Amino acid sequence: MAVKVAEEWLNICGGCEVSILDIGEPLLDLLPNLEFVHIPVLMDHKYHGQTGEKDPQVIEIPQADVGIISGGIRNEKEKHVAEAMRKSCKTLISLGSCACFGGIPALANMWTLEELQEKVFRGSKTTEKAETPKKDLPPLLEKVLAVDEVVKVDLSIPGCPPSPDWIKEALLCLLSGKPFVMPDKSVCDECPTKREKKASGGSLKRPLDTPQFKQNAPWEETRCLMEQGYLCMGPVTKAGCSGLTSEPGEARVPRCIKGYMACRGCFGPVKKGSNPLVDMMGALSSIGLNPNQVADRRATLNRYMGAHGMLKPLPAKPVPVKK
Amino acid sequence: MNETVLTQEPHADILNPEPVVLAFCCNWCSYTGADLAGTSRLQYPPDARIIRVMCSGMVHPNLVIDALTKGADGVLVCGCHLGDCHYQDGNYRTEKRAEAIKLMLEDFGLEPERFRLEWVSASEGPRFAQVMTEMVEAVKRLPPSSYKTG
Repeated sequence: MAVKVAEEWLNICGGCEVSILDIGEPLLDLLPNLEFVHIPVLMDHKYHGQTGEKDPQVIEIPQADVGIISGGIRNEKEKHVAEAMRKSCKTLISLGSCACFGGIPALANMWTLEELQEKVFRGSKTTEKAETPKKDLPPLLEKVLAVDEVVKVDLSIPGCPPSPDWIKEALLCLLSGKPFVMPDKSVCDECPTKREKKASGGSLKRPLDTPQFKQNAPWEETRCLMEQGYLCMGPVTKAGCSGLTSEPGEARVPRCIKGYMACRGCFGPVKKGSNPLVDMMGALSSIGLNPNQVADRRATLNRYMGAHGMLKPLPAKPVPVKK
Repeated sequence: MNETVLTQEPHADILNPEPVVLAFCCNWCSYTGADLAGTSRLQYPPDARIIRVMCSGMVHPNLVIDALTKGADGVLVCGCHLGDCHYQDGNYRTEKRAEAIKLMLEDFGLEPERFRLEWVSASEGPRFAQVMTEMVEAVKRLPPSSYKTG
C-alpha cells in the first residue's frame, strides 16, 4: 500500500521542493510507493473545504503517514498550519535549513519586529511611507521560529537547499522502517582538498576573490580554501552536502567547494546546539587568520541559524552606574 | 560549563549582588602565583572561582563565552608571561584567542570589562591579588549581565 505524504511550505523560497524533484530518476522508482494527499506547491487543496464552506478557524489537512514541512515559521497562519500538520501526520520531517534552524529569513531575528516594520514600511529611502499593513493578513510573530520550536519534529534534513540524496535516503528509511541518521562529521571531514597544516596567517580574502586552482586538476592538488585565506565554514558545519553517491571516477566534493567557493554553513552545526559563531571565531584565531576582518560577524557566522534564540536583538548598551 | 562551578558558593545566587568571576589559571605560573597570594596571606575579594588548567592556551573561546552566557559575571584568563610558557608558545595562542573573545563579547552584547587576559608568573602573588581586586571591582560597577536576569 502506498505511503500517504502531506507536504507544506511555510516561510520559504521553494528551493526545498525543487530539491525533491532533483532526486531525479530514483524519484520515479519511489513514486509508486508514495501518495501525495496534500502538497500546495503542486496541487490545489484548501484548508477550510474546497469552497471555503467549513470552519475558518480550523485548518484541515488530510491524515498522512509522513508529513514534510519546509520553511520556518514567521506568522500566526504558519504556526497553525504546522500544528495542523503535526496532528495529521504520524511522522513529521523538517526539510531544509529554514525548517531546521530558521534559515536566511531568520537573519531578521537580529532586530525587533517593530524595528523591522519601521525599516521596511517607513525607514527605507526607496519606499513610500505607509502604515504597516494589517487587514486580511495573519499577524507576524515576534521572531522567525524553526519548526521544532513549535511542534515536535521526528526527523530533520538540513541544507539550503537540502541534498536530494539525503531526501531520498530519508524517504527510503521511512519506507523500510530503518532509522535515519546523518553522521556527526564536519564538511572538512569529507572535503578532498589538500591541507598543508600550515597556518596561512594574515588577512582574510573576500569571498569573490578567485582562489588558486588548476582547472580539471585532481581535487587533492587544490589547496584548502581556508588555508588560502578564505572564510570557510567547513570546520563547524555538518557534512552531507556532497551527497551519498557520486558518478564513477568522480570524487565526492562538498557542493560549494565544487564551485571553488568557501562553505557558508547551510547544513547547520556539526553537533546540535553548538554555536557556529563561537566555534568559528575560535578556529580562525587558532589558525592565525584575523577574526577582526569577518564582515558582519554575527550574521555571517550564523547565516542559516537565526532561530532557537541564536540571533536576537542585542540588549541596548546599558549606561554604567556612576559612583 | 560545569554548573556546579557557578553555583557552588552560597553567594552565587542571582539575587545576590556579589559577582561570580571565573579565573582560568595555568598550572605552571598563574595557579602557583595564586597559591603564593594565598600563602602570603594577601587579601583579595572572595568572588573568584579559580579553575586550574594546564596551559592558558587550552582555554578555548567556547569556555569563556559559555561561562559568560550561563551565569558568570566576569572571566579572567591568567597565563605565564610571553616567552615563559611551559609549552613554548601556548600563551601566544591565548593572546590570539583573547582577540577573538573580545570581538565576540560585542556580538553577545556583553561589556568588554567582563573579560580580561593577564600574565601572572609564579612569583607574582601580589600581582594576582591586585588583578583579582581590579577585576571584581570592574565587574561590580557594571549593571547585572543581561544573561543573568533573562
